[in-house]
Amino acid sequence: MRVARAMIPIFMLTMCAGALGASTEEIARLIDAADAGATIVVPPGVYEGHLSIKKAVTLDGDGRVTIDGGGEGTVLTLLAPGITIRGMTVRGSGSGVEREPAGVRAETGPVVIEDVRVEDTLFGIDLREAPGSVIRRNVVRGKHLEPGRRGDGIRLWWSHGCTVEENDVAGSRDMVFWYSEDLTIARNTVRDSRYGLHFMYSHNTHVSENVLSNNSVGVYLMYSNSITLERNRLLNNRGASGYGVGLKDCDDIVVTSNAILANRVGLYVDNSPSSADSTGVISRNYIAFNETGLLATPITHANAISENAFVENEEQAASHGRGDLSRNDFAVNGRGNFWSDYAGFDGDGDAIGEVAYEPRSLFFHLLASEPNLRLFIHSPAQQAIEFTARALPELQPTPILTDPSPLTALPITGAPIEMSSHGSRAMGALAASLAGVSALVVLSLGRAPRLAPAGRPIRATGKQEASA
Amino acid sequence: MSMLSSVSIKTNRRSYSGFGASVAALARREFRDALSSRWFILFTIAFAVLTIGVSFVSLSGVGSHGFSGFSKTSAGLLNLIMLIVPLMALIAGAGTIAGERERGTLVYLLSQPVSRTEVVLGKYVGLACALCCSLCLGFAVSAAVIAWRAGGVGVAAFSLLIATTCALALAMLAVGLLLSIISRRANVAVGLGLFVWLVAVFASDLGLMAGTVLFRLRVQDVFALAIVNPLQAFKMAVIVGMNASLDVLGPVGAYATQSFGSALPWMLWSVIVLWTVIPLSLGVVLFARKGSI
Repeated sequence: MRVARAMIPIFMLTMCAGALGASTEEIARLIDAADAGATIVVPPGVYEGHLSIKKAVTLDGDGRVTIDGGGEGTVLTLLAPGITIRGMTVRGSGSGVEREPAGVRAETGPVVIEDVRVEDTLFGIDLREAPGSVIRRNVVRGKHLEPGRRGDGIRLWWSHGCTVEENDVAGSRDMVFWYSEDLTIARNTVRDSRYGLHFMYSHNTHVSENVLSNNSVGVYLMYSNSITLERNRLLNNRGASGYGVGLKDCDDIVVTSNAILANRVGLYVDNSPSSADSTGVISRNYIAFNETGLLATPITHANAISENAFVENEEQAASHGRGDLSRNDFAVNGRGNFWSDYAGFDGDGDAIGEVAYEPRSLFFHLLASEPNLRLFIHSPAQQAIEFTARALPELQPTPILTDPSPLTALPITGAPIEMSSHGSRAMGALAASLAGVSALVVLSLGRAPRLAPAGRPIRATGKQEASA
Repeated sequence: MSMLSSVSIKTNRRSYSGFGASVAALARREFRDALSSRWFILFTIAFAVLTIGVSFVSLSGVGSHGFSGFSKTSAGLLNLIMLIVPLMALIAGAGTIAGERERGTLVYLLSQPVSRTEVVLGKYVGLACALCCSLCLGFAVSAAVIAWRAGGVGVAAFSLLIATTCALALAMLAVGLLLSIISRRANVAVGLGLFVWLVAVFASDLGLMAGTVLFRLRVQDVFALAIVNPLQAFKMAVIVGMNASLDVLGPVGAYATQSFGSALPWMLWSVIVLWTVIPLSLGVVLFARKGSI
């Protein structure tokens, strides 16, 4: 769009880029003319081509600049420490995976990338050895590719001490952190991707208040130690893996105050912690409406799992493979977890049940060895099996876990579980209309038919008992 | 009493001349009979009370956070429906023709200027309307509870549940009617209905589960064997409608979703429709052929 000259800041000496088909070379000329450390407000417009920045400048598009790579290569490459790019749209990278084309790529750091919209690119924002960088308030939308061919929305590679916050990623592969330590990951949103947050060999990181929904996996930590997951929302992650949170071979992990809702598996733990003297802490999470609340491999041990709310998960806890979860602690300092299916009682009013929680479902026990049987879930046959197991105690399997002091009241988890509950008015309308329609049908069809002029209703004389 | 009050089929050929008109007249009669019969009122009340109970229990205490997908409430309702609705429909169907035959009113009915096909279809349509009304009343109170407690199931999902449940009821009613046609006495027909219910609800699933474990059936075999059962087809149709995927049903569900994709709902619905059309046609044929009444 053509833009009035008046809008171009006066200190801009070079000509505007309002003309159609402006080239990124014009931005390059602006950068050449500027001193290191200068702030360049780029004139509004669409710039076609690629841009490599080799000088520590701030490039501000004020939200009205678009750089279009035309579907080839990496669009914006940052090659000097101290670069800031802000307020622009970057689009149209290549799509072949061999050179991993990205929207914005930094090959050194620190850099700041904020308020940038990256769209139609294979990789979104890619930091390679860019320590101390900040990625903030960006929006990343991947190319419309089948999931197997997508690139990562945001990737950090050997970039320690970075801050990644308030980004919004959708339709990409992962937001992934490779070999990067001391990160702050906060308030990001990732949806419709593969792994929301994916950590590979990345240690000492704080992950808080992110919202990860409709991905294959919400947060997957692999071989990464000393990570705290706090107050994140993991919602409806039910792809091939389908974990809200997955922990694989990670030491000293703290998972606390997260809302883990409606995933295939809420929390998956595979041999984590893996080192001899490390522990895992899983506390005060709200784990609800998942198919399986907690799934752990039998080798998993030394986790302190307490004060979580396990609410209405189809299967509250399960072992992935033969075995049980007994090598973990399900109570700390005499406080266990809240289990919505706990049938015991609290005798002395301390909100702790007097009977241990020991789930032993024959149906789920059978499922563990024959997964195909899950087809029969939610059916009266499942109830029949559970009933049989209760009636014949010798059929009951051994419990999968023992929580010695289950909580009888919901603990205060601090997890972000608030959800809008709209739609109740529509539901009320549905109820009213259903009742209305059926009443109308009953009234109109149920009364005796009008008689034809000559007709007379034939009444049976003898009373006969109707057999029920 | 009420059974007979309704033998008021018009003999007036001017007002009830066509096939459709006769069926409609018979259906109205059957509908009124059903409404005034004790078992029907009992079932309606039982269904309504149980749906309220399920909705309450599954929404109680912890709230539901406005989930619109396949929730605990839907699962609870599903279980209840699979237990109650086939029973209701089978017994409704089983009692009707055999009952009239036993009481001798069938001869009377057939002496009217209506064909046997019209009698079967009329009875079917009338009972079907009555059943659907009864189910809708039950769902209405359940929906009211869900609306009051704010959440649990989305309106679209709930409407789908209602539609599929009605379809299941119609299929089971057709089976019940067939049983009624082949049985001489009402008690036998109702007994057969109970037997079919037991097989459809428990025996076939438990048998298939045992088979899956013992013979290590492949997923495609388990799926093929399972959807023959209209109740399983119903369950899968509800879940696939709410979830767009059967992944909650494990490997077999994942197989079905991947292999059949968007054709899956149609497949499941056609199973239910076949369970309606085949018994009904069979019933019409058998009833027409039957020499003695």
